[in-house]
Amino acid sequence: MARSNVVAMILAGGQGTRLGVLTKDLAKPAVPFGSRYRIIDFTLSNCTNSDIEIVGVLTQYQPLVLNTYIGTGHPWDLDRTNGGTFILPPYQSSSRSDWYLGTANAIYQNIDFIDSYDPRHVLILSGDHIYKMNYAKMLQEHIQQEADATIAVIEVPWAEAHRFGIMNVDKTGQITTFDEKPKNPKSNLASMGVYVFSWDVLRRQLIADDADPESSHDFGKNIIPAMLSENRKLMTHRFRSYWKDVGTIASLWEANMDILDRPEEIDFRDRNWRIYSRNPIKPAHYIAAGARVVNSALTDGCNIYGTVEHSVLSDSVTVEKGAVVRDSILMPGVTVQEGAVLDKCIVANQTIIGKNVQAGAHITKTCIFHNSKLCSDGIIVFERGLKISDQAQIPGNCMVEYREGQEMDDIIEYQFRIR
Amino acid sequence: MFINALGLIMADHRNVQLGELIRPRALSAVPIGGRYRIIDFMLSNMVNSGINSVGVITFNKYKSLMDHLGTGSFWDLDRKTKGLTLLPPYINFASADNGDIDDMTGLLYYLRGERNKYVVVANSNVIFNATFNELVADHEESGADISLLYNLDGIRFGAPNIILETDRRHYVTDMLQNPEKTPTSRCFLGVMVLDRELLIDIVSELMSRGIRVSSIDSMLLRLHKQYRIRAFNYKGLVLRINSISTYFAASMRLLEEQTRQELFWSGRPVFTKVKDEAPSLYSADNTVSNSLISDGCSIYGSVTDSVVFRGVTLSNNAVVNRCVIFQDSYISEGVVLENVILDKNCVVRPGVRLVGQTDYPVVIGKGAIV
Repeated sequence: MARSNVVAMILAGGQGTRLGVLTKDLAKPAVPFGSRYRIIDFTLSNCTNSDIEIVGVLTQYQPLVLNTYIGTGHPWDLDRTNGGTFILPPYQSSSRSDWYLGTANAIYQNIDFIDSYDPRHVLILSGDHIYKMNYAKMLQEHIQQEADATIAVIEVPWAEAHRFGIMNVDKTGQITTFDEKPKNPKSNLASMGVYVFSWDVLRRQLIADDADPESSHDFGKNIIPAMLSENRKLMTHRFRSYWKDVGTIASLWEANMDILDRPEEIDFRDRNWRIYSRNPIKPAHYIAAGARVVNSALTDGCNIYGTVEHSVLSDSVTVEKGAVVRDSILMPGVTVQEGAVLDKCIVANQTIIGKNVQAGAHITKTCIFHNSKLCSDGIIVFERGLKISDQAQIPGNCMVEYREGQEMDDIIEYQFRIR
Repeated sequence: MFINALGLIMADHRNVQLGELIRPRALSAVPIGGRYRIIDFMLSNMVNSGINSVGVITFNKYKSLMDHLGTGSFWDLDRKTKGLTLLPPYINFASADNGDIDDMTGLLYYLRGERNKYVVVANSNVIFNATFNELVADHEESGADISLLYNLDGIRFGAPNIILETDRRHYVTDMLQNPEKTPTSRCFLGVMVLDRELLIDIVSELMSRGIRVSSIDSMLLRLHKQYRIRAFNYKGLVLRINSISTYFAASMRLLEEQTRQELFWSGRPVFTKVKDEAPSLYSADNTVSNSLISDGCSIYGSVTDSVVFRGVTLSNNAVVNRCVIFQDSYISEGVVLENVILDKNCVVRPGVRLVGQTDYPVVIGKGAIV
C-alpha cells in the first residue's frame, strides 16, 4: 500500500465517571449532545472536513453503543476503500492480553495497525471535546516547523488554568516545560488533547514507555515529559475558536446552552464545516396549536404540545400538553407527560417524566438521589429508561438512578430496557 | 423478511401536472412533508417489504432525482448486486434521430438481468406507508396474471384516475379512465404486481408494435382485456397527488395527528436523503402553531398551519399561514404569506405580501426572488 501521510487515532475508551449515570451504559463520546449529535461527532467530522481518511477509534469502556453508532463510518463519509474508520478495542495476543492501561498504552497496543499504513505522522485525538478544528492546518505547521510533536493549545482564563495541562512556551511557540494541573500556573495555554507526532519518533517513545514499569502510560504524564527531557522539538498550535471539554455535568449543561446563547461561536450552520451525525430517520418535528417553543434547539421527530423554553431537545422527544421544560437537555426519545415541570434537568434517553412531576432547584425537600459530588448549579440528571412516578418532586443537584432492591422515595415507578 | 420481487418505480406521470413544481424536476422528486421527496414513500415501502432491487424509470429532468437518490445508500440500496438502478431513456443514434425518447431497451436489459420472480411496479403520485408482502402473496396464490392495488377514493381527487369494475372474485371486468360519473368508487392506486417474465413479454411486444409504454395506466388500459387482472383493496391512509391543489391539500393533511401517526410512526420508517443540517433554532419571541418544521431552520417570526423544509430562515415579524416552504428559502422581515407554496432557494424581500386561496395556493418557482 502507498505510504499514507497521516493516521488519526481517537481515544474513545474513557469512562467519563464524572458524568455519573449518563455514562453508566455507554462511553462518554457516545453521549448525546446538542440536539442532533453525539459528542464524538465533532472529532469525527473534524477528521472528515480535514480530509483525514484513516481513523482508528480506540474503545474500551462500554463500547456497544459507540461501536454501533460509528458502524462503517458512513455518516461521516468515512467508509472508504483505502482507509476509513476502524474500531480498535483491546485484544488478546499470543504473548499478552491487556486492557488499555493508559492513553499511550492504547496507541502502543495498536502500533501494528498504524504501521500497516506506514504514515509519516499520527494525529492523536480525544473523543470527548466539542470544537471545530482544521487538523490539516496543524499538520502543515508541524511539517513546516520540522517538529517532533505539535500540541494544540488554547488560552484559558488564568483562574481556571490549574485544571489543565499547561504548556510553557518560548517566543517561537516551542514548548519549554509542561505542568500537569499546576497550583501556580506560569502560562494559560492549556493542552486540548490534540497531538500531531512524527510517527517514527512517537513509535520509539511508545516502545520505551512500555518498557518502563514506573510509567502510567499516559501522553500528558509520561510521553510529553519524556520527549521534553530528550530535548525533542515540541511545538504548540494555537487554537482560537470555541472549544469545550464536556467532562462534568455542569460543563455538559453549559456547552449545550452555548448552542442557544452563543450560536455564532459554535456555529453548527457553517456549510463548509458541517457536523455529521447518524440520522435517526424520523419525520420533521411537529409543534401543535397551543404549544410554545422559544430560545430552543429542536430536531427531527419531536412532538411538542406544551412549553419549551431555553432548552435543547434531541430527536423524538414528546412534550405533552401543559408540561413545561425550561433550561433543560432532553435526550432522544424522552417523554414529558402532562403537567410536568422541569427546570435545569438533563434527561437521558427514553425516560418518561410522569404527570405533574416537579423537578428543579426550587423544590425544597430532601431526596435520596442528592449528589453534590457530581451535580452542581441545581442541575438534575435522570438516568435513561426510567419512568418517573406521577406527582414526584425532585430538588436540585440530584442524580436520579435505578437502584436494584432499594427504596426509591416514590420517585422511580419502574425501569425499562431501552432499544 | 423475504420477498421474491423486485421494484420498479415510474419517476414521472405524464398526466399529473404540477406546474412550477415539476418545471425543474421529475414528479417523484417533488419535495413533500418537510424533508421528503414523493418517491421516498414508495421507495421506503419497497425496502420495508424486503425488496432489495429497485429500478427507477425516468424520462427527463432527472438531475434532481439523481442528486436525491445518489447511490441509494439512505434506503440501504447500495448493494454489490441488486440495489438501486436508475433507468434513464435508452437513447442511441437511431432513437435520438427519430426523437423516440421512450425507448425501453434499458428497462428490458434491467428486467432480464434480474432473478426475482415478480415485479412490483409503482407510479409516483401516491403516498402511503405499507408493505407489499401481502399483495405479492395474494397474487401468487390467486394465479392471476396481474394484481393491482386500489382503494375507495373514487374520483374525488380528480384526474388522472382509473376506476375499476370487478366481479365477486375481485377480478377486473372493466377499467374507466377519468370517468365523469362512476358506478363504483374502486380507484387504482398506481401499484401492480406481475411476473417478471410477463412484464418482459408485454414491454417487448408493445415496443415491437411501436407503442409507447410510458405509464402503468396506459399499459393497463391497453391490456386489461387480454389478461386476468385481480384487484386488491388497500385500506390504509392514502394521499394522492394529482394536481397542485391535491398536493397542497396533502401537505395540509400531514399536519393532522392521524395522518402523521399513520405515515410516520407506524413502525415502518420513511427513509430519505440525509442532509446533515444543524438543529432548528427558535428565537425568544416566535410563535409556531400546528406546523411541521425541519432541521436547520431559524424561526424568528410566526408560523401557523404550515410545512417548513430544511434550512429555511423566517425573519422577525414575518407571518406564514397555511404555506409550504421548500428548502433553503429566506423569508425577510415583515413578509406575509398565506396559502403559498414557495419552492427551493427562494428569497422573499422585506414587507412582501402574497396571499393565495384555500384551494388554489400561489406557487412561486424555484430560486425566485420576490
